[in-house]
Amino acid sequence: MTAPAARIPAVHTSAPAAHHYTTLGLDSRKVAIWAFIGSECMLFVSLISTYLIYKGRSVVGPFPHETWTDPATGRVLKPILNIPVTSASTFVLLMSSLFMVLALAAVQNKEKPKRTRGERILGNSKLWLWMTAIAGTTFLGFQAFEFTSFVHEGLTIRTNLFGSSFFTLTGFHGAHVTAGVLWLVTLLAIDYRRGLGSRDSLLVDIAALYWHFVDVIWIVIFTLVYLIK
Amino acid sequence: MKGTDRLRRLASYAFLAAFAIAAASCNEAHPNTTLVPHSDYGREIDFLWDRLLLLGTIVFVLVEAALIFIVIKYRRRDNHPTPPQTHGSTKLEITWTLIPAVILVFIAVPTVRTIFITQAQAAPGSLNIEVTGHQWWWEFRYPEYGVTTANEIYLPVGRTVNFRLRSADVIHSFWTPQLGGKRDVVTNRTNYLWYTPDSSTASSVWNGFCAEYCGASHANMRFRVFTVTPAQFASWVAGQKTPARFGAVATPAPTGGQNPPALEGSASGYIFPREKIPDYAVPHAPIPPGLKFTPGLTGNAARGKQVFSGAACIGCHSIAGNPVAMGVTGPNLTHVGSRSTIAAGRFPNAAAYLALWIKNARKMKPDVLMPTLGLDEYDPVLKAKVTAATGGLTDQQIADIVAYLTALK
Amino acid sequence: MATTAISTPAYGGEYSGEHSGLWSWLSTVDHKRIGILYLYTALFFFMFGGVEALILRAQLGAPNQHLVSAEFYNQLFTMHGTTMIFLAIMPLSSAFFNFLIPLQIGARDVAFPRLNAFSYWVYLFGGIFITVPILFAVAPNGGWFGYAPLTTKAYSPGINIDFWVIGLQVLGVSSLAAAFNFLTTIINLRAPGMTLMRMPMFTWMAFVVQFLLILAFPVITIALVFLLFDRFFGTNFYNTVSAGADPLLWQHLFWIFGHPEVYILVLPAFGLVSEVLPTYSKKPLFGYPVMVYSGILIAALGFGVWAHHMFAVGMGPIADTFFGLTTMLIAIPTGVKIFNWIATMAQGAIRYTTSMLFGIGLVALFTIGGISGIMHASPPADLQQTDTYFIVAHFHYVLFGGSIMGIFAGIYHYFPKIMGRLLDEKLGKIHFWLTFIAMNLTFFPMHFSGMLGMPRRIYTYDAGQGWDLYNAMSTVGAMIFPFAMLIFIYNFFKSRKSGEVAGSNPWGAGTLEWSIPSPPPEYNFAKIPTVTSRYPLWEGKEVDHESARINSQEGKTAAELGIVMPYNTIKPLLVALGLIVMFCGLMTTPILIAVGAALMVFSLYSWLLSPLEPEHH
Repeated sequence: MTAPAARIPAVHTSAPAAHHYTTLGLDSRKVAIWAFIGSECMLFVSLISTYLIYKGRSVVGPFPHETWTDPATGRVLKPILNIPVTSASTFVLLMSSLFMVLALAAVQNKEKPKRTRGERILGNSKLWLWMTAIAGTTFLGFQAFEFTSFVHEGLTIRTNLFGSSFFTLTGFHGAHVTAGVLWLVTLLAIDYRRGLGSRDSLLVDIAALYWHFVDVIWIVIFTLVYLIK
Repeated sequence: MKGTDRLRRLASYAFLAAFAIAAASCNEAHPNTTLVPHSDYGREIDFLWDRLLLLGTIVFVLVEAALIFIVIKYRRRDNHPTPPQTHGSTKLEITWTLIPAVILVFIAVPTVRTIFITQAQAAPGSLNIEVTGHQWWWEFRYPEYGVTTANEIYLPVGRTVNFRLRSADVIHSFWTPQLGGKRDVVTNRTNYLWYTPDSSTASSVWNGFCAEYCGASHANMRFRVFTVTPAQFASWVAGQKTPARFGAVATPAPTGGQNPPALEGSASGYIFPREKIPDYAVPHAPIPPGLKFTPGLTGNAARGKQVFSGAACIGCHSIAGNPVAMGVTGPNLTHVGSRSTIAAGRFPNAAAYLALWIKNARKMKPDVLMPTLGLDEYDPVLKAKVTAATGGLTDQQIADIVAYLTALK
Repeated sequence: MATTAISTPAYGGEYSGEHSGLWSWLSTVDHKRIGILYLYTALFFFMFGGVEALILRAQLGAPNQHLVSAEFYNQLFTMHGTTMIFLAIMPLSSAFFNFLIPLQIGARDVAFPRLNAFSYWVYLFGGIFITVPILFAVAPNGGWFGYAPLTTKAYSPGINIDFWVIGLQVLGVSSLAAAFNFLTTIINLRAPGMTLMRMPMFTWMAFVVQFLLILAFPVITIALVFLLFDRFFGTNFYNTVSAGADPLLWQHLFWIFGHPEVYILVLPAFGLVSEVLPTYSKKPLFGYPVMVYSGILIAALGFGVWAHHMFAVGMGPIADTFFGLTTMLIAIPTGVKIFNWIATMAQGAIRYTTSMLFGIGLVALFTIGGISGIMHASPPADLQQTDTYFIVAHFHYVLFGGSIMGIFAGIYHYFPKIMGRLLDEKLGKIHFWLTFIAMNLTFFPMHFSGMLGMPRRIYTYDAGQGWDLYNAMSTVGAMIFPFAMLIFIYNFFKSRKSGEVAGSNPWGAGTLEWSIPSPPPEYNFAKIPTVTSRYPLWEGKEVDHESARINSQEGKTAAELGIVMPYNTIKPLLVALGLIVMFCGLMTTPILIAVGAALMVFSLYSWLLSPLEPEHH
């Protein structure tokens, strides 16, 4: 009959539920981020489905995997996707997830004593947050490079069904990465100002969940758009 | 007791009202009813409908009766003891889950059967009609006969007609309620709809509607279907195939005799007699206020042909036999004189309406593509007056065109 | 019923002192106030949408009329649908989600009070944005369902559709934010002992609806993004003319959202009725577990029936069969609910309060709507019914006869809790009967005009088509609604000021919200109760009497009880303002986009970096 004891992580930053009882013993923001991710899945499912529906149905080129000859001008357009380059950017994004994991671990273990040089490096939350943000920004740089080169090669968002669905899908993903980078920079700012400690695990955990989600979406996009012909 | 009496009285009023409505529906004055089929397709659907209505009525009566009974019987009375705090009954739950499921089986099985029957390919030898939906008129082509017309179809009874439906712009829906269900008319794909009008429907007229919201004049996108005997159909086709006699250029008499008489159109094939068209197929739309035509003008068809061939008309309309009239944006006018309505069923095909239509189509039918042509008329879409510089036509010129078009039987 | 002479002002003894005045409402984060804001705003839009309908019915009262132009009629029917669905019914449900959920689960507020306020302001600004255009006759005119390619720039070159696309995107943000909030609240803030299977039915249905919202709204968001991009940036998603786009893409995306949406519209009303019927029958809800499972099943199946809106489109026999069968299947859990409600009343001691009448009305009228729905489920039969007034009849029976009746049942039931006073029962009964008669007189004849061949969405019809009688009846019926609503509005405002004082549990109901004063104090529960049954106030031997006694005490402030309340803050309103300004910029100048974005981001950072409530240990 007595209320079950609720184990709540101690987080002081604008956390309403921190000192209040919660049914699952979880911070409400943890629950909310999962709901948000579920919703975002449907968002990307809709974008990806549209891309797949329109695959192979563009009336004019350039095409992702095939050559196209413009019947009007006779110009030959090569398949426009650059798998090697995009593989590199994918690798960078995947590494960023690793860095994020390390950043979270560093924050969670901030108060533990570090004895070796290795432990100090691993425990440097600022380092790993920077690495994640830089990797994310590098990925965005690759995307920007890809978009501009596509435009130069004659593929814009208005050119054909492929252009519209490709740029919208990857553009939305890129916007999500950008938001994630801004989030990381904000965490860095907090780390510099007052330091992030184990009491801030939740904040970094939520950011990490979002970041991994964005990475997973990219893996799906990369597979369906770039790898599968 | 007062509550019960009042409820009982209300219930009986409600039943009376529903019955009255139902009775009113069963009489003849419902020319677009879906409840009386006139084709094989219509009968398939009607069978399903009858079953749905029967089962639906039974469920309705049982559920509402139970509701009314319980609501009255278990009213709280004075000194009412605490009711039994029943939480549920697994038996009841199973029962009232299974019974609806069984009822649904009686609907599902004939449904699936009918889906596959009605969506099978049309029988070989069917009459193919290509339907193209435009905002806001219907283009009909009989490819096997080389006939192109608009807003009117003739069908031979007893022969399956297979409609091939495509849209030239937005999504429309092709519907002749008395002959069958509807099918959407969509761009970039062809939909099919077929049915066989009953032999008993010879010499009948049916209304057709667009049934998918397609913009400003969606309500004005109507058509007519004439179901006729095979002989009458053949005669109609023969007439429609040939270029309008009027359109033929008058050749000088080869032996130096008199030139052929001034061209007059004549009905060269069967046309459903106007006087036999029932009232429900005659449009009653009023003429918009403020649209006037000079009274007492007589049109000259030969002059009309000249005006027509030099005006904006030829940019959108075709008349087989008139070599300059080859536009495809608007309805084919080769035999426009033979049709019973104009403007896709909005107005009767009579000189007075035709004249006003040419004068200011956009006022007659909201937002149509056909521009306002009358001199000094206000074009509600361009929001400007028509001037001579922009190709405005005088009433006399319009009267001449009307004479020309009327002769294109 | 308490008749103690408490000096309870018109509403909310708590809304005095520093808690009164315009600023306190603009900066509130209290779920009860936000619920009241939703209620007033939604009732206003309900009446606005009703006026649009009255004009429509006047135009259709006789054949070949010209009371309004074709263009304006098309705007009216578009806005009537859009207003009723997005600005009236959904927000009315939100009013109840807001006010009730924390009270029913024994919480002090929702999980994210500031996000809650944000949802409301986005709704208000979005609602204004999408409604003002009709005053200038440039309202959206593509139907509430906005089928492409009609709504692409090629066929709708004006700004009408721009308002629609942007307005709906904005409203979607409001709904999604609220859904994350309520989902988290219901999962994570239930009182000790309140397992999921002890939650009140309204909260259960609300819970299911939040899942529907978070999964369905992203799909229409993308559909609208595609349309927005096509219209503003020249993309090709719906460009069937030159790019080979699929003309059905919009329809699929829209209805994958659209069908769950109708369950979003009706399940909250089902939840309300599931509170009302047991209370006035004086017995618990019959078959509670089945009611829960059927709600979950309806929501899950609801994602598998969407193409029954597309039976005429030519998807082919296999798709038609599949969706026809799933649609028939979904009738089973829906029917089961009707039977359980009837069984709830059986053997009860029924009090005919206005709330109960509306509840019974829902059962009676939704049954009719459900039956016509099954009739549409057979694809070949539907080819005669779809796009006719038969469909209009069906969805008004389920949306008016279902959602609206349920919502009114909820209003009459919960008004005392919200305002502290009872609505007048005599006026209430007149409101009910006028509404019931008007509803049936307006919509029942539409079954007939539909089956007699009358298509939908037509601004006029010709004489001699056999539809005159039914249209005349519908028009007469429609004209009764204003009288019903006027009586309701009069009752609402009069009772707010001088209605009979309600006390904490005027109806003798059994759930937690009735254990606290009316209106509730800002902290809701002085002591979070422990719950051991579904009806904590009824199930005799295990009622937490101690908590009930403490919680029913009036006049204590949060400070006296040592309860920390969140700060009021204007930041959610500012973020909402930034959002709408940004979208306005899309239709005007990029400068506004920048200004709006800056306001949004700055206010958002300010919000996120400031504490919700004072520090406490």
